[in-house]
Amino acid sequence: MAQSATTGAAAAQPVTTRGRPPSPRRAGGRPPGRMSRAAVHHPWWFALPAVVIFGGFFLLPNLLNFYYPFTDWSNYHTDINWVGTRNFREILDDGTLWRALRVTLVYALLAAFFQNLFGLLLALLLEKDTRFNRFFRALFFLPVLISALAVGYVFQALLNTDGAINETLGTDVPWLGSTSWTIVLVAVVHGWKWMGLAMLIYLAGLKGIPGDMLEAARADGAGPWRMFWSVRFPMLAPAVTFNVTTSLLGSMNTFDIVQATTGGGPASSTEVMNIYMFRVFGQGQWAEASAMSLVLFLVVVAMAFPLVIGLRRREQML
Amino acid sequence: MRRTATAVALIATAALTLSACSDDTAGTANGTGAGGSGGGEVDPTARLDGVELTFWTAQNTVNAADQVIEAFEEATGATVNVEAIPDLYEQNVPTRLASGERPDLMFWQPSISTLPFIQPRQNLLPLDDEPWVGDLGPTEQSLGVIDGTRYAAIVTSPAMLGVYYNKDVFAEAGITEEDFPTSYEELLELGHTVQDRTDASAFYEVGGDQWPLQWQVQVQLTDLPETWWEGLNRNEESWTDPAVVDAITTYNEELLGAGLAQEDYRTGTFTGQGEALWEGSSAMALNVTSFQSQLQAQHSTEEIDERIGWFPIANSEARGLYSPDQTNGVVAFATGDEERQNAARQFLAFWLGPDYADFLDARKIPSVQPDVPNPEGMPQTAVDQVGELADAHGVFQAKAIVAPELHVALADMIYGERSPQEVAEFVEDQFDDIARDQGAEGF
Repeated sequence: MAQSATTGAAAAQPVTTRGRPPSPRRAGGRPPGRMSRAAVHHPWWFALPAVVIFGGFFLLPNLLNFYYPFTDWSNYHTDINWVGTRNFREILDDGTLWRALRVTLVYALLAAFFQNLFGLLLALLLEKDTRFNRFFRALFFLPVLISALAVGYVFQALLNTDGAINETLGTDVPWLGSTSWTIVLVAVVHGWKWMGLAMLIYLAGLKGIPGDMLEAARADGAGPWRMFWSVRFPMLAPAVTFNVTTSLLGSMNTFDIVQATTGGGPASSTEVMNIYMFRVFGQGQWAEASAMSLVLFLVVVAMAFPLVIGLRRREQML
Repeated sequence: MRRTATAVALIATAALTLSACSDDTAGTANGTGAGGSGGGEVDPTARLDGVELTFWTAQNTVNAADQVIEAFEEATGATVNVEAIPDLYEQNVPTRLASGERPDLMFWQPSISTLPFIQPRQNLLPLDDEPWVGDLGPTEQSLGVIDGTRYAAIVTSPAMLGVYYNKDVFAEAGITEEDFPTSYEELLELGHTVQDRTDASAFYEVGGDQWPLQWQVQVQLTDLPETWWEGLNRNEESWTDPAVVDAITTYNEELLGAGLAQEDYRTGTFTGQGEALWEGSSAMALNVTSFQSQLQAQHSTEEIDERIGWFPIANSEARGLYSPDQTNGVVAFATGDEERQNAARQFLAFWLGPDYADFLDARKIPSVQPDVPNPEGMPQTAVDQVGELADAHGVFQAKAIVAPELHVALADMIYGERSPQEVAEFVEDQFDDIARDQGAEGF
């Protein structure tokens, strides 16, 4: 693969140098042919509007998030002074940071598990291109399009002690009142909301499996179960990488569903980092909220690298 | 050369973006607020043709000032535009102010713990010399003042904390007005009497919505003297004081632990509390006036009078507690535009002056001015509360410079995740942090 790219670049050389003599700098530094045709023909400043928006609304706030946690920025005074690591010491001291981190990790693992489980099951069920399946694919994708807050409020109403679920079952279970099981339930809701997206990606993965491979497996006498475990699931590796990474890291940043269903309760057992941050921010302690947000960012980065590397390696091994 | 020009352009853009993101309230730090204080001579109905004022309200109070706005527009020719700020109001308003937006007027809770959220010294017009100040009742006069300067006009009576009870359940239990408690201890005894003689639970507690959990503790703090609260605000006293820890312990052990709350008190909701009291499945609900507003939204005055009663309670006497809320106060902003600032002050003078009786009549709420009578048609529970206001205690939101989230820690406690001592420590930690952020002396 690498070899063919080099040959390609070498072949392209006469084309790019035909118009004008190559500048000595370009010839020495960057191998010619690396720059795409579009980049040569469109001046870089065409990208300036996008760069400014990206810089102003994404890059800058993110960079500031490395500065504010070390200040006394708050709602109560206008000046912003450097205070070193005081905010970090405070959120560590009161113990809530560890609890929020633990809750966030448990939630993310559960949410990623349910989202992928539901998504994969739906993809397998609705794999064939029939009219019936196409309709249900669209139907199961609908929750992805609904506002997460709306989903949260609907489930909150359903799961209330005097809500529709208890009424239908004739029970009196406080679904949202258990310090150990409510988090699982909220993760199921999260999985339900995003399962359509996972389904779509798994479907694309299933469609990408070469037909002759399946045919060969069938000819070798593989039943449906064997076919799934030994051929289709391994071939889904790239889809698994994408789905697991996005669902796990995405649910680390969860806020809306949890806020709408439990608001972090009962007894803070579903108080994920973002809910805690929201509460601290609401008290006017903006620098402390920023410190939490920086911790969350670092945790997500620390998880993302080994996760992506591990899953990519798995793809290559299969 | 071109490269340098590009670099300069990029740096300039970055600098511009950076400056756009800086705290916009910084510029007014020296207090344009003082400039707007004209004081005294305001003609409430002077012509204001062509003047436009902006009034911020919360989503649930967007119509609260409709009567006075219409009357003011008619009387003066000014235009008042109401803008509802999305919930959570107390959180979104400071963020908007920090980004440089300013209304002319705004509803805001006039308590010493909530006014600092909007940096009154920098942002608001001082209102010490307005014509209506002397007309307010004694409790109302004590509200809206920070460091000796008045920043809020008190337009509605503060909420009252007390016990709402179901009259039928009390009758079934044979309880008459003479049996009403005169201390918290007696209130708990009354609870046992009700449970022994009827099927109703003594109290409905709201662990699901959390915020009403604080009231059972708050009514037990009324014996703490003023000097204690002053000491607390100078960091000489602490929330871990045995009086506070004992109050939390009493709530945990002698009310919840003794089975005086309904079975699902951990997940109970505010609306559930209203329904339970109305149906009589619970006998009592200790809550503030918003509980009554909830009843008024669903039932007529006659129905409420027939079924629901109210009595005050404090730790060792039968006295109510007042609790300021967002609709009690209106603040006027130092916008730098003299004409609009004067119009805003005129609006307040109109509201609390010639229009006040009509405003009360339209809303059916009690008066903040002893000289203006309460309107006809208020439920008896509301009338009882007004009667108690003059010598009521204040809740801690009105006494402490920071209102810590006691209810959040109590919600942990009812699941056994925090002990009463740990609840007090959580509250003290949060109080300390925010008081220091406010720059309060001693922290």
